[in-house]
Amino acid sequence: MRRSSAALREERGAIERRASRKAPPLSVPAALSRGGACRLEGWLVHVVPSGQSGVPGGEGCPSAVSLLCKMAASGRRRLLSHGRCWFSQTESAAPPQSPDSLYPPIVASATAKSKAAKRRRLEYFNQRVHAAASIEEKLRLYGQLQRPKYMLYPQTFALNADRWYRSFTKTVFVPGLPPRAVSAAAKAPGAVAPEAAKTPEGAAGVAPEAAKAPAPGTAAPGAAKTPGLAAGAAPYLDMGELRSLACDALLQESFYQNKKRPYLYRDQDHTPGPFLTQLVSTLAAFLCGRNPLLAASSLDLKPEVNYYWHHGEEVVVHGHRKGRVDPVRFQIDDHPHLQIRVPKQLPEIVPLESDLGDVPVIDHKPSKLPLFKKQYENKVFIGSKVADPCCYGHTQFHLIPDKLKRERFVRANLEDQIEVLYRANGIASLFAWTAAQAMYQGFWNEADVTHPFVSQAVVTDGKYFAFFCYQLNTLALTVETIQNNPRKNICWGTDSKPLYDVVEDGSVKGFNDEVLLQLVRFLLNRPKEL
Amino acid sequence: MAAAGPMALRRVGAAAAARGRGTLLTRGILTRAAPPRHRGPLPRTPWTTRGPPPEELARAVERRPVREQVELDAVTYAGRQHFVPGLARPRFPPWDRGWHDPWHSPGPRYEDMPLYKERGCYVCHQRVRMLEGVRQAQWLTKTKLVEGLPPSVLSIVDDSAHRLEDYEERVKCAISHARLWDTTEVAPRREHYCPVLFEDLLHICRLMSMKYPSLAKRMLARNYKISATWERESTLLQVRGLNGILMNSMAPIPPVASKEEILATEEHVLETFYPISPTIDLQEVNVYKELNDTGFRDGYPYSHPHTLFFLESANIRPNRFRPEQLRAKMLMFAFGNALAKAKVLYGNDPKVLEQPVVVQSIGTDGQLFQFMVFQLNTTDLVSSDGIKNLVWIDSDQNLYEKAQCIPEVKKRVVTKPAGIYGFQPDTFKKFLALYLHGTV
Repeated sequence: MRRSSAALREERGAIERRASRKAPPLSVPAALSRGGACRLEGWLVHVVPSGQSGVPGGEGCPSAVSLLCKMAASGRRRLLSHGRCWFSQTESAAPPQSPDSLYPPIVASATAKSKAAKRRRLEYFNQRVHAAASIEEKLRLYGQLQRPKYMLYPQTFALNADRWYRSFTKTVFVPGLPPRAVSAAAKAPGAVAPEAAKTPEGAAGVAPEAAKAPAPGTAAPGAAKTPGLAAGAAPYLDMGELRSLACDALLQESFYQNKKRPYLYRDQDHTPGPFLTQLVSTLAAFLCGRNPLLAASSLDLKPEVNYYWHHGEEVVVHGHRKGRVDPVRFQIDDHPHLQIRVPKQLPEIVPLESDLGDVPVIDHKPSKLPLFKKQYENKVFIGSKVADPCCYGHTQFHLIPDKLKRERFVRANLEDQIEVLYRANGIASLFAWTAAQAMYQGFWNEADVTHPFVSQAVVTDGKYFAFFCYQLNTLALTVETIQNNPRKNICWGTDSKPLYDVVEDGSVKGFNDEVLLQLVRFLLNRPKEL
Repeated sequence: MAAAGPMALRRVGAAAAARGRGTLLTRGILTRAAPPRHRGPLPRTPWTTRGPPPEELARAVERRPVREQVELDAVTYAGRQHFVPGLARPRFPPWDRGWHDPWHSPGPRYEDMPLYKERGCYVCHQRVRMLEGVRQAQWLTKTKLVEGLPPSVLSIVDDSAHRLEDYEERVKCAISHARLWDTTEVAPRREHYCPVLFEDLLHICRLMSMKYPSLAKRMLARNYKISATWERESTLLQVRGLNGILMNSMAPIPPVASKEEILATEEHVLETFYPISPTIDLQEVNVYKELNDTGFRDGYPYSHPHTLFFLESANIRPNRFRPEQLRAKMLMFAFGNALAKAKVLYGNDPKVLEQPVVVQSIGTDGQLFQFMVFQLNTTDLVSSDGIKNLVWIDSDQNLYEKAQCIPEVKKRVVTKPAGIYGFQPDTFKKFLALYLHGTV
């Protein structure tokens, strides 16, 4: 029902007069200012412990409460009587006017079927999200509207899925892992020269760089990861010890433990899954002395990671909304095998505005990939709720399921798609995780990240390991925000390499030290100040 | 109803419909008409007041089969090929297919199986809930119970050098993570939070290995199967199957009890609970193999069982074990592991062990913890006297009182904000002490 502007003005005048009237004798319970619990008609008042003086509403509470009481008590003319509860509040969102002006600011209508009205509604939604009181409220508002959306699966059989995923997430893929920052003081003199001999010097084992064959794309050999290495006081990483840990875990799962035959199409639950869990937990425990971040970390088994975002535009094809221009919505629901979350963030790899390559542009609709639409709850989740202190991600471990194993690709003459699978998994899972971490800190596509979010992932099928590193530089992927946004997200990744050749008769043949070393380096990654 | 005979099938609901839909309950089951029931008080005849005459009573006690009580030449309607009122109901021989159909065959009989034995064996598996609980498990394993944890473990708890107080914050975070934060729903279910809490606590314990490097020599094994056989006063007993999560270590736990305590167990008398047999609730089988298997092959480097973890994570309360039954299960499986290891080390002959085998066990349902340390002193279990095994049990330790997922609101006032209430650090200290036992 439309109301004339005159009626509006009259109502607003009435409200101002009511507000300026002296407060009627309403006993605000004195306990409220002291922080006790109290009841108020129609409003919930939280128990605020009296010790908390930092609560913003503490002092202003009584006045706000009295105003609310008046509004509730008057009853007759409610601001919210129309059912359009945002109506009055848009007046407060309008630009402030001088107090002697009688006319409201002239803005576009908020309910009309016009582009200006749509813009105004969008603006209002953005303001509501910006002004949300807590992160949970912000996430709730962000994902409030449910519409059909594309479900992205990180582990997919689709051909060239990594190119499509890069275009959806505005990611640049750089083959090889980023060069490690050289820690100046700790550059041990012997580390640069490749040492062929692995003879341990005295009690300490050999420096890890000696055993490292040049991994693709890694420029500098990288200094030793252990801190305080200059004087050689801290022990070097003992490769023999690590190798024996890894081999013990592998042999227990595949040889020593008496197991039944694996269930049909459930090979990965029989040996690779338990082996990965065992390996990561023992390595993390072994390395926590060298990496204090691991000592404060939280290990999740089979967590859930979700992210929802908009990217691009399309025209609605059928239905009652046919012909309208809608953003393209995506949702990732990922279930990594294992993940490590930490309370402090990993350092950035390259500066925020770096440009390391191009993002592929695909002219087709996402449904051609194939991707399918469904409408359900829009979830944003990193593995635990916002209240958890370990809110940043460190490393994820993904296990390739049986239906996407290498033999099937080889049988179908699709050998090149094997690496595509690993890359797509790395890009999609890490984008979802880092973006969800950024949302947990309050950023979203209108409020872009101010510092990059970095996480790592290892994708494996039990024997072949591929390592990925992701730096999230921008969350602004919607049509309005992507126009003037030069930033791109960056993903570094390797090809999949085998950890061992074969296990027979209680021994592991052809164990590959570099893969283990890379895994150890991933686990030892930490911020510079630690 | 005039057309239907006494033997005809009819729906129960028809009677209700005939009554004019008086009841809401319609049961669509098919019944035969019962003889009309007398629904008033019993008529007062000599039979009802004084009871049936003695010859009637004798006949009732006799228990002759029905077909004998009916006359032997009873004429049946088998030859007539249809029901005839007044003739007896025939019983036909079971139909024989004539050939072996694997999809419709009852399977081999127990007596024809190759492992069939006349003597029955009583098997304890993970679903066995013993009636008498720990007492029954003690009798079956010839064990003496000591309340509380042994002094060597308590010394680790009290030792301030381990700085167990630093971990309180981390443990509270772990409990909050498992009970409050780990799910996209409002509150996680027990099937979800019980294993998560266990993994988090174990992760905290493993991080202690930076102080004690020998803690790295431990390996967890899930889904492993144990087999152990022993004889106890002319009954053959077995422990079999999947049980819980086993932590193996390279080095065995040193014996907990002194020699004097072990010799003192000779005077102890095992409790019996006549008239209940000690093998109640165990599954009796006649087809079995007398097997002793630790679950791992020879040459396994982590060959000593250290701790067994039991997680009672069923959502529904009746599906979970009660604390007493859980303690009994923990005792039985700790004994099974220790016995299998002892037979591997010292052979199958029953004897008193010079180097007792120690296995620990922790059971939880996400909130209550049961701690147990078991020491196997002897494999000579046939007689009820002689040296007995020892077990120390610390039962019903609460880690926290309540985990409030959503704030409790009474009359629009928040009376109890969300969080963990009643945290007790001692329980985690005991958990950590049992983990560190043997290397510290």
